[in-house]
Amino acid sequence: MTNLLNVESVLFYIVICLYFAAMIFYFLFVALKKDGVAKIAAGIQILGLLLHSVALVCRGIGAGRLPMTNQYEFSTSFAWGLCLVSLLFIWRFRFPVIGTFAVPVILLLIGYAAMQSKEVKDLMPSLRSSWLGFHVSTAIIAYGAFGVSFVLGIIFLVRDRMGKNAFWDQHVPAKEKLDLISYRSVCLGLLFLSFTIITGAIWAEQAWGSYWSWDPKETWSLVTWLVYAVYLHLRIRRGWRGRAAAVFAVAGFVCVMFTYVGVNTFLPGIHSYA
Amino acid sequence: MKKIWKFLGSMQFAILLLVVLILACAGGSFITQGLSYEQYAELYSERSAGLILGLGLDDVYHAWWFVLITAFLCGNLLLCNLIRLPQLLRRGKQADDPAHLGTPCVELTGVRDPEPLFARLRMPRAKETTDEAGRTLRIAVQNRAGLWGAWVCHLGILLLILGFALGQMTKEEYTVYGVPGETKRVGDTQYALRIRDFRVDRAENGFAEQYTADLSLLDLSDESAPLAEDTSASVNHPGSAFGFRIYQNSMGDAAKLTVRKDGELLQETWVCQGDSALILQTPLYVQLRSVLRDEAGAETAAPGYAYMIYVGDEFYTMNVQGAGESIPELGPNYEVSFSESQSYTLLQIKRDRFTPLAFLGGVVTLLGLLLAFYLQLRKLWAVREEDGTWTVRGSSPKGGALYADRVREAATPARTRP
Ligand code: HEM
Repeated sequence: MTNLLNVESVLFYIVICLYFAAMIFYFLFVALKKDGVAKIAAGIQILGLLLHSVALVCRGIGAGRLPMTNQYEFSTSFAWGLCLVSLLFIWRFRFPVIGTFAVPVILLLIGYAAMQSKEVKDLMPSLRSSWLGFHVSTAIIAYGAFGVSFVLGIIFLVRDRMGKNAFWDQHVPAKEKLDLISYRSVCLGLLFLSFTIITGAIWAEQAWGSYWSWDPKETWSLVTWLVYAVYLHLRIRRGWRGRAAAVFAVAGFVCVMFTYVGVNTFLPGIHSYA
Repeated sequence: MKKIWKFLGSMQFAILLLVVLILACAGGSFITQGLSYEQYAELYSERSAGLILGLGLDDVYHAWWFVLITAFLCGNLLLCNLIRLPQLLRRGKQADDPAHLGTPCVELTGVRDPEPLFARLRMPRAKETTDEAGRTLRIAVQNRAGLWGAWVCHLGILLLILGFALGQMTKEEYTVYGVPGETKRVGDTQYALRIRDFRVDRAENGFAEQYTADLSLLDLSDESAPLAEDTSASVNHPGSAFGFRIYQNSMGDAAKLTVRKDGELLQETWVCQGDSALILQTPLYVQLRSVLRDEAGAETAAPGYAYMIYVGDEFYTMNVQGAGESIPELGPNYEVSFSESQSYTLLQIKRDRFTPLAFLGGVVTLLGLLLAFYLQLRKLWAVREEDGTWTVRGSSPKGGALYADRVREAATPARTRP
């Protein structure tokens, strides 16, 4: 079993190198304006995702449980989630510029993971629940989707500033479409965040006898949920699309990151282990 | 008056309430909750402490104004859903009405046969009718159920808040702790909890992986014929009996306290860590502070017991004594000693009849979100022009330009340009 953990360790660094290479190619794609380079970049990113998946499976088997129970495992899974969702959006909307902006964020996340302790610790009894698996895996997709909406928000703002530019006009959808794609990623994120909160509540009910106790992590996931609900309503009510929606998507992701890192760092609570 | 009602049910008001809720929730997470005036004064300043307590910021999530905002949100949701119910029913009925097709986001002209296009976009069977100019019109509507997404989502949130609020108001919650063999009254209810057994499953390295308590809940309403329901509770697997849920919350050490007076056994009782026992016929309390162990871990005999002695409420002395050794501070004719030790279990006993309602609300909310986001209403309609070709138009309130792209893409092979 320790062998598998060693394999995971090696793979983890290979994956970082692959994501780094993908980032370089995505940058080259924008700099050289060559479509072929984007294909190479996406190919490397897909290879990175595959090896990343293998690494997570090795970690899971090696540790004898789901690889989602401490800060290291969660941050590497989070990077994996963002990689998966960004590839889905790149493929679905034929929009490789997403990669140019998403892969640096993936690298930041996986870099954060690299700074965490990789030790496999004994699991306290309350963490031995199958609801934990549902809770964290839905959170990974939700965070990945919000990460993509953040990236799309940035792309929108950059495009907004750029004015007329042949490359951007050709490779980035028109603002109206960009806004709709961003909306789709928020929808995906909000749906999965709702799953995360509800599976977390079921788990808390079984483990602590209370499905909602205003713990800071819970509270901040609710804040994030409400922020995106406001985003949806502003879109409908005030027609806040385009620029305002893009700013909102960026701000929403700041809430996501605060829920994820800030709460553990600045606020006390029962979620302090993850 | 009508204006006020309209505002209370409006989305504008909803956004305002949501923003205030966001600020309140976030604020509450930054101010440590539940401290006293002195603690806040020390943490911040005396003025801030007064402000925090005055505004209920020491318990934001139960403060009157927080409850009031939530109540307004519920009223807002209810009104909004009531107002929108007839509109939605109408929109559902009119979905394939030629007069209510909506603004098209895409238009294709000169299509020879629209059927393959409808099929490729997986549109349901089109309704054939005629428009006001007498031309043949085929209308297909997809995902009519999606119209209800937001409505269902709002209903779910309403149920969720209702279930949570009713639960907060009516739930019963008690804590019982003890060692195997003990039977303890559950708060001031007619129930008592008997702890039949308590086990700690350990990994090879001694790490506790699971705690399990075997229990009987006794209904003592008829003392002569108590009813009992057996159950067991472990972490993540609560037990249930008589409509209560019983949670294995935590555990700790307990030690046996033996009191002899002039050589005669006066008292023998288990004391849990942190608890104190009154020594009979004296004003003295002995509190067990902790059971000291060597590094080897939990299952070996405890080498020492740390205790404190109180006279009434007054602290008298503290010390550590070995197993079976008499505590010296209690005078020559009293022999008071700790011996043995075992784990006690701390259980939470709870009855909240509205938990299922809150979870139903959660599931309904999820269903609503799925409908709203992933069953988006789309319409595609084709008009037969005089030259025999068809003009196809499509609309999708939420898909817009993306739906237009899809329609164009699906049409590329089938479309023939005149
Ligand atoms: C926690 C609170 C709320 C959440 C999570 C929520 C969620 C949603 C969602 C997901 C949608 C669909 C948006 C879309 O498809 O783009 C929506 C639409 C809407 N919401 Fe809310 N909502 C909340 C509170 C409210 C309140 C209090 C009102 C009261 C007026 C309201 C009024 C509306 C309206 C009118 C729509 C438009 C429906 C449509 O276009 O079919 N919402 N809401």
